[in-house]
Amino acid sequence: MTLRRARFRAALVGLPLALALPLAGCAGKPADSASAASGSTSASAPPTSGSERRLEVTFAHGKAGGDTGRVQVAKGTPVALVVTSDVADEVHLHGYDIEQELSPGTPVTLRFDATVAGVFEVELHEAGTVLLRLQVS
Amino acid sequence: MTVLAHGVGTRTDLPIPIGLALFGAGAAILLTFAILLLFWRKPRLGGAGSGRPLPEGLRRVVDGSPLRLGLQAVVLVVAVFVVVVAFTGPDDTPHNLAPWVFFVTFWVGLVPASVLLGPVWRVVNPLRLLHRGLRAVVPRAPGAGQVPALGLWPAAGSLFAFLWLELVSPHRSDPAVVGWFLIGYAVVQLGLALWFGEEWFGAGDGFEVYSSLVARLSPWGRRDDGRLVLRSPMTGGISTPERPGLAAVVVVLLGATAFDGLSRTVFWQSGPGAADDPVSGTVGMLTMIALVAALYLLGTRLSGRLAGQPAGVQPRRYAATVIPIALGYTVAHYFSLFVLDGQTTWILASNPFGTDGTDLFGTYRNVVDLTLVGAGTIALVQVGAIVVGHVLGVTLAHERALLSTRRARASDQLPLVVVMVLFTFGGLGLLFGF
Repeated sequence: MTLRRARFRAALVGLPLALALPLAGCAGKPADSASAASGSTSASAPPTSGSERRLEVTFAHGKAGGDTGRVQVAKGTPVALVVTSDVADEVHLHGYDIEQELSPGTPVTLRFDATVAGVFEVELHEAGTVLLRLQVS
Repeated sequence: MTVLAHGVGTRTDLPIPIGLALFGAGAAILLTFAILLLFWRKPRLGGAGSGRPLPEGLRRVVDGSPLRLGLQAVVLVVAVFVVVVAFTGPDDTPHNLAPWVFFVTFWVGLVPASVLLGPVWRVVNPLRLLHRGLRAVVPRAPGAGQVPALGLWPAAGSLFAFLWLELVSPHRSDPAVVGWFLIGYAVVQLGLALWFGEEWFGAGDGFEVYSSLVARLSPWGRRDDGRLVLRSPMTGGISTPERPGLAAVVVVLLGATAFDGLSRTVFWQSGPGAADDPVSGTVGMLTMIALVAALYLLGTRLSGRLAGQPAGVQPRRYAATVIPIALGYTVAHYFSLFVLDGQTTWILASNPFGTDGTDLFGTYRNVVDLTLVGAGTIALVQVGAIVVGHVLGVTLAHERALLSTRRARASDQLPLVVVMVLFTFGGLGLLFGF
């Protein structure tokens, strides 16, 4: 292998590295804040006041209404998600893995701290309907 | 249990920040021009005959029947076990091992395994072992010798079938659906292999072809004289054999991953894909594959026309240069799934049948740690993978153009390069979530 070729190969290896370095500098902040997250969540946490984010969603005649679609929540916010369904079902918040039985017409509240970043589905098991997607960022 | 876009999973990634998206796009453009204009005026990568030879003893071990048959037997036992768990284990996806093993550990894990070790699935493919057994009963293959004419088109078909299952089909995460797919896939592949001979697997088994294509970018390779060599991944990529259908395989992979990205965006979830049914999914996936195919054909044919070369051979000639781009997309979309939801496999493996009190490895009570990698790291890996894949793709395309004519002008490749830049922008745009 000639010297010229060796130098070229070194350049080739350096290319992705050179690319990654400035990127690493750029994204340092979000990575740091993400590592501070704790995984503890609870469906039965005591109600918190003031800064709690309240979301309400209803399921009637096979359709979801209220806070549907993609709902953004700041990371670390305590969330109270109130779900009311006109049929018996089970509501499941993925990722945080919180499940609650629903009986017709009775509002059920899921309480948790939004500590894990990502996009998570809230769905009804029986109906198979996605009520909303919680975006924690 | 409902379904997330990619088979199984409990979460999807956040949209990448606008700053990272713009940075990635800018880096892709700048590096592209640097490669084309500044320091690459003649072919620099070795061909199929290059590489640093590895000891002959290593080749004998790797190619030897004991190793191959042994590994195939082990993988067969694992595969049968997974199918049994799919049907007799817990009914619900969060507690059944099969969907997690298949969609995350196997399908996503095949990529790092093949990049690091070479074409692993070819070596351990349990269907090859079953075929060998069946061959004793059915000694004659009526279609022997026809496989080269088929090229890689059958693999494009079987990959499409799998990707449709993974990304579109209803109930795709149900354990029983996964079990039936595995059985159906094995039966169809074995039937075709009995007809066409063992060669079939290298042309029609989508998983084997996928693993072998990804392995073109591994540091291990096989020289044209059969010798195992250590070589630059770029040399491996540029010496990918130009088989018919190679472009189709790459386009299907790229288009399906693009659809996976699309299906995670607010635009899709609240617009065309709001119904979340097989019709909208199938149309969406076919549209993305068609879009990628149209852009690719346009770019390669225009580049060929500018260079005064026959247009017909161009798509196949450049297909291998899209492999790194497809690989970059795959890493961008599935890295977090593998690292985070992939933990589920190891948790459930401790108690595959969900029986009370069973905890083989002491991991059954573990909980998936969704904070193992932060959102910032994930975004960084995503943008990095797309940009690095883009740079390798443009470089390989440039080298391929230089190899095809002695005096290739950089400007001749502009159409193809523009298409690759569009792919990169598309990939970043999907990660950004529109």
